[in-house]
Amino acid sequence: MKSQPMDNLVYLEYAVAGIIRYWLINSDYKQTIGDRVEISTSLNSWRKVTEGAYLYSEGINPYVGDNFHETPLGLIVFNKLISHIPQWIGIIFIVCDLVTAHVLYRTAQTFMSELFSRQMRKKEKYAKGTETLLLKQSDLVLPPVYVASAYLFNPYIIFSCVGQTTTVFANLCLAFTFLLMIKGQRIACCSVLALATLQSLYPATLLVPASIYLARAESSSSLEDKQSLRASSCILTVVTFISALLLLLYISSELTGGWEFLHATYGFILNVPDLRPNVGLFWYFFTEMFENFRLLFICVFQINATLLYLVPLTFRLHDEPMLLAASLTALMAVFKSYPSLGDVGFYLALLPMWKHLFNFMQQGFVVGCSFLITSAMGPIVWHLWIYSRSANANFYFGVTLAFATAQIFLVTDILLAYINREFSLYHGLHHKGSGKTTKLVLE
Amino acid sequence: MMVVLHTIFSGLLCLQCISSVICTPQKDYFDEELLLKPLPSGHVYAYFQFTTLWDVDFEATSFQHCHLFPRALGEIVGRYNVQELHISLTEGLWRHETWGYPVHDAAPGAELWAWFKESTKNIDKTWKELAGALSGLLCVSFNFVDASNSLNPEFTFRPAGIVSSGAVNSSYLRYSTLPREIVCTENLTPWKKLLPCDAKKGLSTLLNAGHIHNTNYHSLGLHLRPVCRDTTCSQMSVELRQTVSLVYDMVILGTGNQDWSIKKLFGIGLSGACPLATMSNIYIDIALNETGAHFQLTPTPPAVITSTRGGHKSKFAVYDIKALDIDGMFNIAAVYSSSRVYGVNIPPVLFANRYIIGYGQERGGIVTKLHNGHWQALDVVYLENIPWFIPLYLHTLKIVANGKEIKPLLKRFIPGKARARPYYLEVALRLPARSITEISLEFDYVFLKWQEYPPDANHGFYIGAAVITSLLPVGRNYTGLPQDGSTITSSFNASRDGYLVQLRTETLIITMPTPDFSMPYNVICLTCTVIALAFGPLHNITTKRLRLKNKEQNYVIRWFKSKLTRSSEMKEKQS
Repeated sequence: MKSQPMDNLVYLEYAVAGIIRYWLINSDYKQTIGDRVEISTSLNSWRKVTEGAYLYSEGINPYVGDNFHETPLGLIVFNKLISHIPQWIGIIFIVCDLVTAHVLYRTAQTFMSELFSRQMRKKEKYAKGTETLLLKQSDLVLPPVYVASAYLFNPYIIFSCVGQTTTVFANLCLAFTFLLMIKGQRIACCSVLALATLQSLYPATLLVPASIYLARAESSSSLEDKQSLRASSCILTVVTFISALLLLLYISSELTGGWEFLHATYGFILNVPDLRPNVGLFWYFFTEMFENFRLLFICVFQINATLLYLVPLTFRLHDEPMLLAASLTALMAVFKSYPSLGDVGFYLALLPMWKHLFNFMQQGFVVGCSFLITSAMGPIVWHLWIYSRSANANFYFGVTLAFATAQIFLVTDILLAYINREFSLYHGLHHKGSGKTTKLVLE
Repeated sequence: MMVVLHTIFSGLLCLQCISSVICTPQKDYFDEELLLKPLPSGHVYAYFQFTTLWDVDFEATSFQHCHLFPRALGEIVGRYNVQELHISLTEGLWRHETWGYPVHDAAPGAELWAWFKESTKNIDKTWKELAGALSGLLCVSFNFVDASNSLNPEFTFRPAGIVSSGAVNSSYLRYSTLPREIVCTENLTPWKKLLPCDAKKGLSTLLNAGHIHNTNYHSLGLHLRPVCRDTTCSQMSVELRQTVSLVYDMVILGTGNQDWSIKKLFGIGLSGACPLATMSNIYIDIALNETGAHFQLTPTPPAVITSTRGGHKSKFAVYDIKALDIDGMFNIAAVYSSSRVYGVNIPPVLFANRYIIGYGQERGGIVTKLHNGHWQALDVVYLENIPWFIPLYLHTLKIVANGKEIKPLLKRFIPGKARARPYYLEVALRLPARSITEISLEFDYVFLKWQEYPPDANHGFYIGAAVITSLLPVGRNYTGLPQDGSTITSSFNASRDGYLVQLRTETLIITMPTPDFSMPYNVICLTCTVIALAFGPLHNITTKRLRLKNKEQNYVIRWFKSKLTRSSEMKEKQS
């Protein structure tokens, strides 16, 4: 009932955001935005998609070349779009982006009510004097609106949509994964996750928070032996996911008549053969890498991006699978081989769900300034390097390093804030403002 | 004992072999020719051709015993199962628009293409080995030829000689160019060694490095093909053409006038023909004598041939060196009546040029302009040979003739792959009459690994020449030899249905964005630091627990703090 005006507000936001995107996509800025290295990487640029679809329609297998890295499913769909309804493609991108925003809005709503009910359940265990930390009824309404707004009006997301990067579809899949995960719908969730994995491989790590969520949803509804139920539920989730992925891969191979696409998609993601600059850490590192250590560092970097933080974070955050999923998405966006600003914008839009943690965050100012400065400096030093040739690669590398550092600070800060708040909820706020000189330390 | 016997026995066998070879007479002929052609622009085109014809079966075993044919080359050809071989080493660019067509067109740098016999098993491997062997033979960087810069074009190249089977299968063809190759004396010397007379006697004595590399354009060529022994074509012969094309700029060489002579061009007179040569001729194109600047030849030519070819008339003064009684040095001089008069340049029917568009090092385009000056439409085949580090977008291919977009008749494209395969594009086009057709393609600049850049990274990267093939209906500006002929003589009065031209365009150079070559360690350290920035806190967050701890401050800090608070308290009291 209370959310009615909020819903209206959100619909208004959709309209405004849609108009902004529509205006930009029909303006001359579209080309400029789509050509930016920060927005379009080799993996998601629309130019490559056009080339792939063109080659496909000419009867040339696009996967034998170096210029196309989308999945066969994407190839068929994009080819159909380009050949049949080229004038609607911009609209499709905008609609997908708005749908993503709406899905995130619904996710946030569900998540907030879940958070609130959990708080109600655990309220007795909390320490005294922590009432200020608790969520109020009013806190449930705003965060979903913030999530939607952060997605709709984040320039990173707008540019990524206007530049027609396929990250728009990846984000849509991810958003659906989040929603279906929290709604506890195993088959749908696993299918969408498999679709996301098919496109960009890294989302496979989200299987862990998803299976935790699904297991929890099942065990809470039944009264049987919880431990074994959870285990069997997790196994079932993994099996569903793997079979969905295998099915998609099989369909892909049937569509293109072979398995070459694996090398052009997953091989391309894992081996990092393209060293075109982007906002990530891979390009300059592997440009300057000594050839005999290349394989070692590829393995190190890829493990760092996928598996390294998965297990420890799962152990730490198993009570809060949503936060686990969000931080995994964020780490993925920082450490993946071809990240773009669209990926960054996606996890930034998730953050308002933890608005109650913002008070505990200490680096907000630093991170915010870094985001602003690097976003402005990136295009400037790129121009100096590539066009006026008065700077060199180190300048742009410095900016990407600063950008990655800022993102890392953001992720660690929010995790630390979560831990801090949990601690304060159970142990009280006495370390704040009490006369004794005490402090909280991790040890 | 057995071993000794065995050696003697095999030695005897060998002797027998040799004697049997000596007994069978070698049927081979060697012709040397030089064509001098003053060009309307005031340049002089000198074309040497040394032709060895050998009536022998094109088999690996045939090349074990050579007479006039260079054995070093024969062994390579026999070993790698070569059917046909074409090499050109060129410095400078042939300007079709002002110079007309050369006898053999060659791309700037080194160019190599070969047809292999159908019995060849692993063609890619054989091709690499062949290129390696040729690199040793001619001191060219052919050792860099491999699958990453080789093509097998479907339409552009046809076998120049006879083929055993009817259908041409281009999978036995390999084509590669090294546009960065610099051609110099070290290539000329081994090339001359392949001639029967070396550089000791005959026309090859005129090839002095100092005077050859002083030209606007010079190109060494080596063309091997099987030809018919006679008109019935029941038997095969091997033909080896060694060619040198030179274009002299008389403005640079001359002493204020347009006069030229053999001595002036080559720095030395001619002392006589190669004794092994069947024919030793010098031809001088005197057609320009009548239309353009008038010149007088001394000594007066013993014979003048009028040749009509494809509706185009030309006149040649012929000096038969063998017939001349040369005592000491022989020289031919052209003395002009006026000091500097240039003829009217009528550009050939078809010519092309090519350039790069775009600015910055992010995106660019390649544009090729084909000029068709004929009154009829011309069919051409356009071959683009783009290295793997220039990723082409085929969907940006645009062919515009006189402002109107035209559809290609045929299109072949194989996308390239980094470090493995170049981009291959072949387009068949019908150029409208009297038109300028623009073929444009877009590409991205690629960022390479730091060790893949050549030592002088900012010099740029070369893109090989495009090849444009056409069968011209008229013989204007055409000097090429007919397919059934071997010598320059055969091109006189050789009217055919069409005249095959293969134009090579300019090679292009692009400067790619470079990393900072001096800081691999810094980059590795900095990036790893950023990763550690994530690892450290995440490790702490996930493995440690929060605990309340009494603040144990450093003694010094505490002392300062107490001082400060005390002094502030004092002040408060005072106030």
